[in-house]
Amino acid sequence: MGIVELKDVRKVYPLGKVEVEAVKGVSFCIEKGDFISIAGPSGSGKTTILNMIGLIDHATAGEVHIDGKPTAGLKDRELTRMRHEVLGFIFQSFNLIPVLNVWENIEFPLLLGKTRITKAEKNDWIDWLIAEVGLVEWKRHKPNELSGGQRQRVAIARALVTKPQIVLADEPTANLDSATGEQIIELMKKINRELETTFIFSTHDAKIVNIADHIIRLRDGLVTENVRRGEDVAEACAPANTAGD
Amino acid sequence: MKTIANIAFRNLSRQKKRSVLLGAAIAFGVMIVTLINGFAGAFVSNVSDNFSYLLAGHVFVSGVEKTGAKLDKEIEVIRDDAVLTAALKDAGVPAKYVTRRSDFDGSLIFEGKKVFHSIAGTDLANERFLRDRLVLKEGSWDNMKDPRAIVLSDKIAGKLNVQVGDRILVSLKTAAGQNNAGEFVLAGISFDTGILGSLMGYANIAYVNELLGLASGEYMTMGIMLDDISRTERSATALYDRMKASLQLFDRGVKDEKGATTPFMAMMRKQNREQWNGVKYRVFTLNDILAQVQQIVDAINIAAFVILVVLFFIVMVGITNTFRMVMYERIREIGTMRAVGVQRGEIRSMFLYEALFLAIGGALAGIVLALVAMAVISFFNLGMDSPLFIILKNGHLSFRVPPFQAVGNVLVIAVLTLAAAFFPARNAARLDPAVALRTLK
Ligand SMILES: Nc1ncnc2c1ncn2[C@@H]1O[C@H](COP(=O)(O)OP(=O)(O)OP(=O)(O)O)[C@@H](O)[C@H]1O
Ligand SMILES: [Mg+2]
Repeated sequence: MGIVELKDVRKVYPLGKVEVEAVKGVSFCIEKGDFISIAGPSGSGKTTILNMIGLIDHATAGEVHIDGKPTAGLKDRELTRMRHEVLGFIFQSFNLIPVLNVWENIEFPLLLGKTRITKAEKNDWIDWLIAEVGLVEWKRHKPNELSGGQRQRVAIARALVTKPQIVLADEPTANLDSATGEQIIELMKKINRELETTFIFSTHDAKIVNIADHIIRLRDGLVTENVRRGEDVAEACAPANTAGD
Repeated sequence: MKTIANIAFRNLSRQKKRSVLLGAAIAFGVMIVTLINGFAGAFVSNVSDNFSYLLAGHVFVSGVEKTGAKLDKEIEVIRDDAVLTAALKDAGVPAKYVTRRSDFDGSLIFEGKKVFHSIAGTDLANERFLRDRLVLKEGSWDNMKDPRAIVLSDKIAGKLNVQVGDRILVSLKTAAGQNNAGEFVLAGISFDTGILGSLMGYANIAYVNELLGLASGEYMTMGIMLDDISRTERSATALYDRMKASLQLFDRGVKDEKGATTPFMAMMRKQNREQWNGVKYRVFTLNDILAQVQQIVDAINIAAFVILVVLFFIVMVGITNTFRMVMYERIREIGTMRAVGVQRGEIRSMFLYEALFLAIGGALAGIVLALVAMAVISFFNLGMDSPLFIILKNGHLSFRVPPFQAVGNVLVIAVLTLAAAFFPARNAARLDPAVALRTLK
């Protein structure tokens, strides 16, 4: 069953008096637990699509379903709650909170909304994540004391801390050298396997694209290729098992 | 919310110079206003205190007796002390001392020199506190054992050119209005402390009564010194209500008498138009006599408040601009937080917390600075003979900041700062996360 589904999604940006159609009718289905790459040249609409999946921006037309539920018409408060509970974010320029140290940056999302876990569970989980991303020695350091690769590792841990179903990463390697970038993608892939978290990352780096299970290629706001494990996939998700509902 | 407040607090130290500058501006304003408030607060209590000691009371009762066939003779006298003492007790007035004084205005004459002066007849055995306020330059209080002893201020003694031990003639009118004369012996010369020092001379009440033609045990004014000056009006009202049951009383709180600068004067003017038989009593307070002092203090405090508000409108402009800048500086961070699950209201709170911490930090620093400044200023002794005596406390400038006023000032600052930060905070909260994240800075 698909965890993310876009149905004929369009996005038009007003730009002064004219309008820019950044996404021109895109449909695809993403399976739970997959490692997905959205690839395409600059300006092809990768960020726009990730923002719509991430409920940061809304589609001008079409539907965005997250975990089988439509998201159109949700209030800001509800969208924020969903971003907090269902989604995790990794950004191109890391976007850590400068006044918080590594541990606190990772903890931050857990302090928002209602917490359901005990303090001990929380500490164990954060410590596990810090070990997982290899920053045990750095946990009391502030972001400005870390290298780019280290910062992105903090961001990965932060994105995972709420145990989201989907992690979105918009060009997570663009600000890193290629070796570090590959390590970051490998780390994401490892976590994807271990935690079965769905990762959707965008990139225009051909080398990185191929690590993905599922590649969606864009050009000028349209899907040009939609391949999963070497096979073309249908635009629409398989209908939910009606007997189960 | 704790997290948001914590981040807001840490954000203050990101641009240390800027925060310190804004905080210092707030602190400076609060310091100035607290100093003014402190001065005004002490002003009224020092003036009242100094007056209350020299006049020997906070609440006063005096009596006016009408006699004669046509009720045309008027004598200022209290003949029945027992009835007043009983009323005082029944009214539950927390009196520290009760003083009984007779006084007159008369001429003091020595070797051809003559001065018209007020003389208070007191019972120095009971008014020992007078000795603390009236510092003798020459002579001693022991000399007051002489029944005809008198203490004069430096200025009056100088005018008469008298020395301690000299005999001074006095001519006066008795309570009933006849001419009379007597003789004082100069027991001491007090420091000339501004207007108060030369306000009156002090003599023994027994001799003053003799001169006035009053019997021993009679007196003109009862002064009630309270434990706590702030209970003055309440105590006066309680006493008035108690006395009203059995005695003739002049109205308290007479208003709208043209030309009367104090409630006491208004009371006297009204009394002159009245007719009665026997003794009629007047209950009045220090505040009735010193009404202008309170007006001055009110004016100072209003001025201080205006200064506070003006200063803060200037600071507010700074705060608004700063927070607008802060919003752009941290726009990506705001976008990130929104993406990660921070609600709009929490972004607004984060800004407001930051402003609030700044305001409270600045205001507290301002109060501390003001207290330090006050301690330094009041350290200097200006002397007992300073013309400022009336507003001094034992020769020192003193300050008293009523806690509610300090708290009030902090609240005003907090509210104004929050108001200044409100619009930038709201704009930050309303930022579209997609726009905030895309913005490059
Ligand atoms: N806010 C906006 N206003 C107007 N046009 C926009 C806006 N955001 C994006 N666009 C346009 O939409 C198109 C797609 O932009 P988008 O950022 O999604 O591309 P991208 O694939 O992420 O490119 P890049 O690899 O450079 O990040 C581009 O032509 C861009 O100029
Ligand atoms: Mg992009």
